[in-house]
Amino acid sequence: MYSLLDTAISWLLFVFGVSIPFYLILGAIGISGFREITSYEKYDTFYYNLNASIKILLSVVIVLIATFAIWWIGAIITFGLLASYVTLKNGWRKMYLTGFLILSIIIGTVWGYAPYEPLGIVSMALHTPVSSFTTVWTWPPYFSILGYEPHLTLQSLYYSFQISFRFTAAVVASLLLVMTNTPAQIIKTLSRFRIPDPVIFSLVVAMKTVPAVFESFDTSIKISLMRGYGGNKPKFLRPFVILAAAVSCIVPTIVHLLRGAKDIGISADTRAFRAYPSRSYFMQTPFKREDYIFSGILVIMVTATIIAIMMGFGRAIPYLT
Amino acid sequence: MKAIEIKNLIFTYMGEEKPALEIDDFYVNEGESILLTGRSGSGKSTLINCINGIIPHVISGELKGSVRLMGEEVREMKLPDIARTVGTLLQDPERQVMNYNIVDEIAFGPENLKFSRDEMERRINRAISVVGLESFIERETTKLSGGELQRVALASVIAMEPKIMILDEPTSNIDPEGTEQIFRFIQDNRENMTQIIVEHKVERALPFVDRVVVVNDGKIILNVSKEHLMRDVEVLLDAGIEIPEEYIYAKQLGLDTVDPEVIREKIREKGLNLSRRVRRNDGETVLSSHLDVDVEGRKIVSTDLNLKKGQVYCIMGKNGAGKTTLIKGLMDFLNKKQFSVSSSLNIEGEDLSGKDYVLRGRKIAYLPQSFDLMLVSKSVESEVYYSAKHRKIPGFREIGDELIGMFSLDDKRMTDPLMLSTGQRRRVCMAAALASSAHIMLMDEPTSGQDFLNKKILGEEIRKLCARGFTFLIVTHDSRFAYRYGDYIGIMDNGRIIHEGEPDHIFRFSSEYGVIAPSDYVLRAEEKEVVS
Repeated sequence: MYSLLDTAISWLLFVFGVSIPFYLILGAIGISGFREITSYEKYDTFYYNLNASIKILLSVVIVLIATFAIWWIGAIITFGLLASYVTLKNGWRKMYLTGFLILSIIIGTVWGYAPYEPLGIVSMALHTPVSSFTTVWTWPPYFSILGYEPHLTLQSLYYSFQISFRFTAAVVASLLLVMTNTPAQIIKTLSRFRIPDPVIFSLVVAMKTVPAVFESFDTSIKISLMRGYGGNKPKFLRPFVILAAAVSCIVPTIVHLLRGAKDIGISADTRAFRAYPSRSYFMQTPFKREDYIFSGILVIMVTATIIAIMMGFGRAIPYLT
Repeated sequence: MKAIEIKNLIFTYMGEEKPALEIDDFYVNEGESILLTGRSGSGKSTLINCINGIIPHVISGELKGSVRLMGEEVREMKLPDIARTVGTLLQDPERQVMNYNIVDEIAFGPENLKFSRDEMERRINRAISVVGLESFIERETTKLSGGELQRVALASVIAMEPKIMILDEPTSNIDPEGTEQIFRFIQDNRENMTQIIVEHKVERALPFVDRVVVVNDGKIILNVSKEHLMRDVEVLLDAGIEIPEEYIYAKQLGLDTVDPEVIREKIREKGLNLSRRVRRNDGETVLSSHLDVDVEGRKIVSTDLNLKKGQVYCIMGKNGAGKTTLIKGLMDFLNKKQFSVSSSLNIEGEDLSGKDYVLRGRKIAYLPQSFDLMLVSKSVESEVYYSAKHRKIPGFREIGDELIGMFSLDDKRMTDPLMLSTGQRRRVCMAAALASSAHIMLMDEPTSGQDFLNKKILGEEIRKLCARGFTFLIVTHDSRFAYRYGDYIGIMDNGRIIHEGEPDHIFRFSSEYGVIAPSDYVLRAEEKEVVS
């Protein structure tokens, strides 16, 4: 028989998985923190001198490595790249903020996968018989309506934890690109990669808009709370009040931004955007010594991954070996 | 040659039945400067979009008739080809500058046209020199003031070397100094290009144009040379357009000049008494504060501020003086991770120094410049009830209903606020903010982009509320608004309120701080007070 206490704990676990990533995102990073890790700031260290094309290549290589190699290679890359954030402007702070983002991704992924993952799949992935699994919690039978497996196992948690590193490495690399390159540099690079101009322009508008989204969203939420939303709820519940207020602030923020996006479109169109299939560029970004060095590092990373996969550290083989 | 020629133009937006624009015959000669004015929603933007090709190439609808640029039919031209002929500077520089570096922004157009590097360099250097960006060319666009950013936007259009330049309310979001620089450009380049200036501030734009065109309800109702404008003052007033007061008196006195100082002398000679508003600065102090704000160890605001009951206190000064930071600091809206803020704040006898924006919100209402961001409800009624309802204030419906009535929103009660016009949305926001039971309201640039009639309505609403004991702190660049509706003006410079006093006192010397006195003041000023 399932006791009342067990039911309460089950629901607590459920709420934990849903709410903790939001709590981390809104409480620890905050909307203004998101703006900091998605905006370019002028500075002069290694990453800032690196050609944007190399950083785009880095993101692609990292996604491939994280997908094909054993999970801990993705983890090493995640934390290695994150540690290198200290070289950025306000590097410690950016590392701290991105660290929380990574933590929220890990918790979100683990809680998003582990309760749903069929034990047979986990068994195949880990090359461990289901009979050897350690059950850490048994859900009430009606949780199956949510798509939950009857038991939460240590192995499911472990498998989901591994999966999370496929995302984290890509996130850390992508933020690095956005934080250390101007939109114009990214346009030039994407153009070299033969990405169509309308797609590039959409990305540039997004890069320009994302920090503004956070700023407008933050203002809208603050005004809602200032106007009494959340009543007299204690301060430790503030992230949840913010989360609830955020839902109603989505529409005014989007409307506000769309009004601005229309002007950006007109501004580009009245300056002959898409006059030709391609554009020329005034500011040149030649390859420098740093670019060649980093290209070498990328080649080494790819080679090392191939060797690792050949030695049995690929995704298709048991992760625990 | 005619730079622009419009014949039998009728444009109807998709999904609309009534045409937004109906123009039988209109032309602009090459080298001419036109002031295009009219109320918000009168059809000005539709007209300029028909000229710069946004209609029909980007915005769809039913277009009849003909629009020709330098003899070529706009409908048959490609948008990039139109962009070589017509340059368009928009109202809000924040919304049109998309690059991080100034040079990248200026190069955007020439890069699109695939000019050689030498040609691009020539155009960029010329644009920088024409607009005078040399002193801050290395700075990032994200760190420029509104006026500086608008000059960057202007340079990016100049780099296209258009024959026709449309300036769509180019000064509505910038300070008087930035406005002066934009108008200086217009003045200096009148010979080189045909100019269409869309402006609500007729007074500011008039010296720089040859002809005034008034659009009302989608039609051109007045098209006269500047010299003959005085003859048609009533037409402008009837169309809800801001007329410099000296024009009205010049016509009344039968003068052929509009120089405010000459008119002032004539007014004195004739013994006319111009109305002067009684300033209300004798109420009890309802807000006393001191605010210090630091960024990366640099003090950007350090000032005292006191407000009296029933007072309209206007904060004025150049862009970057710290006006918005002051308001946000008082509201506890500044990001603590970015700004180091220390404040003492006492409101109606209650010490709110260490309190956050949630608690301060019970005593102060705040209307940001982007006021749409506070519209979170599905109807005007629920938006106005929102605050009192969440605060569980008894009788919140009665409070809300009274405000809905006061702001003439009864017939819009069930409408989605985001679907209303700008003026109506602003009124909903004011009603909603005041429903929180706060008696002090902070407003950031409430007149920005608003036409004369909307500004007049706003000013009168504010005065009515003041009579009921409400107090207003308003950040504004609009000298005329501050003169007409303000009781006290604080001039802010480098993060401090360095002068404060009644408008008649402040406008004597405010030009030293980039705040230009309105002609209303000049007409009423004593001889010794007149600004140079």
